Amino acid sequence: MDHQHNQVDYGSGQKKLSIYLSGMVMCVLLTLLAFYVVMAGTLPKWAIFTVIYSAACMQFFVQLICFLRMNVRTEQGRLNVMCFVFTAVILTCIILGSLWIMWSLDYNMMH
Amino acid sequence: MQRETHVGVHDHHAEADRTDVFGFWLYIMTDCILFGCLFTTFLVLNQPMEHTLQLKNYIHLPDVLVETFFLLASNFTFCLASLSIYKEKLGSVVWWLFLSFLLGAGFLYIEVNEFIHFAKEGFRWDYSAQASSFFTLVGTHGLHVTFGLLWILTMIVQLSFFKLNQTMKRRMTYLGLFWNFLDIVWIFVFTIVYLMGAM
Amino acid sequence: MLKNLLLGNLSVEAIPFDAPIILGADLFMGMIFFGVLFSITFYKKWSYIWHEWVTSVDHKKIGIMYLILSFVMLLRGFSDAILMRSQQAVAAGHSAGFLPPEHYDQIFSAHGVIMIFFVAMPFMFGLINIALPLQIGARDVAYPYLNSLSFWLTFVGAMLCNASLVLGRFAETGWLAYPTLSELYYSPGVGVDYYIWSLQIAGVGTTLGGINFIATIFRMRCPGMTFFKMPIFTWSVLCAMILVALAFPVLTATLALLTLDRVFGMHFFTDFAGGNNMMYINLIWAWGHPEVYILILPAFGIFSEVVATFSQKRLFGYTTMVWAMAIITFLSFVVWVHHFFTMGAGADVNAFFGIATMVIAVPTGVKVFNWLFTMYKGRIILDTPMLWVSAFFTTFAIGGMTGVMLAIPPVDFQLHNSLFLVAHFHNVIIGGVLFGYFAGAIYWFPKMFGFKLDEKWGKWSFYFWVIGFYVAFMPLYVLGLNGGMRRLNHYENTLYQPYFIIAAIGMVLIFIGIIMQIIQLFVSIKNRAALRDKTGDPWNGRTLEWSVSSPPPIYNFATVPTVSVIDQLWENKEQHQQESKVKLNLHSEYTPIHMPKNTAMGFIIAMFAGLTGFAIIWHMWIPGIVGFVGVLVSVIARTFETKIDYYIDAETVKKTELNYIKGII
Repeated sequence: MDHQHNQVDYGSGQKKLSIYLSGMVMCVLLTLLAFYVVMAGTLPKWAIFTVIYSAACMQFFVQLICFLRMNVRTEQGRLNVMCFVFTAVILTCIILGSLWIMWSLDYNMMH
Repeated sequence: MQRETHVGVHDHHAEADRTDVFGFWLYIMTDCILFGCLFTTFLVLNQPMEHTLQLKNYIHLPDVLVETFFLLASNFTFCLASLSIYKEKLGSVVWWLFLSFLLGAGFLYIEVNEFIHFAKEGFRWDYSAQASSFFTLVGTHGLHVTFGLLWILTMIVQLSFFKLNQTMKRRMTYLGLFWNFLDIVWIFVFTIVYLMGAM
Repeated sequence: MLKNLLLGNLSVEAIPFDAPIILGADLFMGMIFFGVLFSITFYKKWSYIWHEWVTSVDHKKIGIMYLILSFVMLLRGFSDAILMRSQQAVAAGHSAGFLPPEHYDQIFSAHGVIMIFFVAMPFMFGLINIALPLQIGARDVAYPYLNSLSFWLTFVGAMLCNASLVLGRFAETGWLAYPTLSELYYSPGVGVDYYIWSLQIAGVGTTLGGINFIATIFRMRCPGMTFFKMPIFTWSVLCAMILVALAFPVLTATLALLTLDRVFGMHFFTDFAGGNNMMYINLIWAWGHPEVYILILPAFGIFSEVVATFSQKRLFGYTTMVWAMAIITFLSFVVWVHHFFTMGAGADVNAFFGIATMVIAVPTGVKVFNWLFTMYKGRIILDTPMLWVSAFFTTFAIGGMTGVMLAIPPVDFQLHNSLFLVAHFHNVIIGGVLFGYFAGAIYWFPKMFGFKLDEKWGKWSFYFWVIGFYVAFMPLYVLGLNGGMRRLNHYENTLYQPYFIIAAIGMVLIFIGIIMQIIQLFVSIKNRAALRDKTGDPWNGRTLEWSVSSPPPIYNFATVPTVSVIDQLWENKEQHQQESKVKLNLHSEYTPIHMPKNTAMGFIIAMFAGLTGFAIIWHMWIPGIVGFVGVLVSVIARTFETKIDYYIDAETVKKTELNYIKGII
């Protein structure tokens, strides 16, 4: 079977077992780390915060790159990344904006 | 005169398929915003009030860890299904899809049990704003997973009809994006709702 | 028990026998509805309508259906306006008028919902459907089936809103249904539920439409049309659709949370158990502000096209125009607090959003100047589309300036929710959005139907609309500055009354304008032979849609055009290449064209969605489940369908093209 002929460029990277496996292992480790740090409870609060949020962000990128195979090598891939980045920017505006506004409203109106 | 046909020029269909998958990616972006709103609402309303039942007291992290692994494994088996498509092995595709279904169903089973347990203890969705936002955020994710499972079943049925033609490959791409996306959302759910909630 | 599950709360009491005005409206609506059904049956057109329109996936037909929906709903929305203006003109001092508050509140709520969701949005999607694929040299949109579904979902949403007039009531909460008033305790009837479901269903249609057009613009431009060679209207649509895709999910989420409060007793926005109704207002405006930019950006695009075409001069500052729209797109997501300065956020929050609001006026101003510079030293043709553009300049500028006034928090503290605000937003929506869409409708009408609209009636309707608008809304600015608040059916202060009477006169003038538009339509149809557009290019246009026949063949372009400059068609004309292209076409090779088949699925899915919505409103659980399962089953069933396309063979294409060319020569 001619694999090249059948491959449509959906803007994702090449599918390779090694990448999926390494991605999976990293996700498992990051998940375990985050849960351990909270369940053990030995670290100070700010340290736990930092660890779980960093672990979440790292796992987020691992899943984007290893499972969703987001990349900037192909034109479609760049388009996908661009759409995603813009969505992320707007999402940040909405979420952080809402939190700031709601906090300010709560502070001024509910005390 | 017009002729009906199922056969198309490959290049033309490849271009059309790229457009279709891009459109599905755009839908995923809109779903990100939807979940973003639910997360924001959760963060705003997650204020435990005095003398009330609080989320913190009900979270059982070991359960959450297990269901996280179920979903992660399901994500991985789906990637293996995608790999089998690339290798044109229909039997493997169906097998990995079926495994993804089982693992996803396992995730859902644990989650539903958790909800029922919470409700029995009195922490129902109409109890407080914190409860409402918890059940809605986690429940919406669960609903998406449910639709995903229904979709996987449909795929298994359709693969037996249509085998691995271009349309099926494209649909599996959609489903792969959707299934991966759900696991990504879950990362934030377990971090923000459960891990932060349990602290 | 079974009766309960089947009929829920629906009963004969749902029909408003006690409200004669509503009953009269119902009878009128019924007459029209059954009259239409009867005519179709009498002329034996059911098959035609089903096969050519209802099941169509052709963007041109779907666009026309959107426009028909929009105009019909304009009549209903305007009837609400007639009622409101009449009431406020008479209800001063001791007089209570003829509309009690419960009815009046439904009227202004329905007026807002209808005008935004079922007039402006369908009008916009109609024009985009008609013009966009042609402008980028494409044969259809990216997802024709989804396009059909989007239309029918919008249609169903509008019908649910209309159903509230016959069975039950509408929301009495204003067009945004703020909690706690919209919570079950304070709005126990079906009104808010009608509101929620008509918006949710239409909203899904809109979101899908946004995705459709973004994919179309990104992926289906003809060869050679890079981003900075796209027509400016296409750019405006891209920006607007990005806003649709990113903002409408917020609406979906927020309405869903309100539904959960009402149906399951949750506590998102209740005033006890930890709920926070300010969160609803925050979220709904995080959607609401981008929504108004969604409406205005395509209007800006239309203005750019019309100004360039009717000044016979290329658009001044194309690149700046594009950047201005891109900046407006981004900024529209960081200004939403200006809708609730008075809700009580701190000065830092209000200041940030006030400044951002003022900043967003800057790129808009850049655009206005670019339009004026385009007209400068152009050879201006003052046909009706250009008249609408000219009216827009002054009207929108005034509306924009009052907007900048309102952007200043201390000023807004005085003017929030006053009639000044009402005047401002009508100023920008009518002066900007509606004038723009009217210009676009007249501009693209010949392309859709093959004949121009009558100029004389067009000009008459224009003058009545514009003068009527000023007479109707300028008094409201004065009233607002003098303390008049919005959404009141009655004012104690009799000094307001003269202004309301003037406003009512303005409303009558606009009404005459609308009647004249209807007359214009009938006259144009009657005289269509004389108004025929034979060449496909009635306005000496600049963009690709004018290079095909009017109306275009179903496949749009026999051969996909190649483009090398902006306004390729104008360039071709300058180089006298159109004639040679035409001659080339007579001898060129035609290939079979791949087309999507018509499908009933869009219509069927929308009908099931409507059934689900209606059933949930009335707590008719069995029909609700039937509707929901129906949606799922239809969606899945469609995926099993393999015969979804066909080819038009080269001979048919050649014959069609020959006919067109014969018409030009």
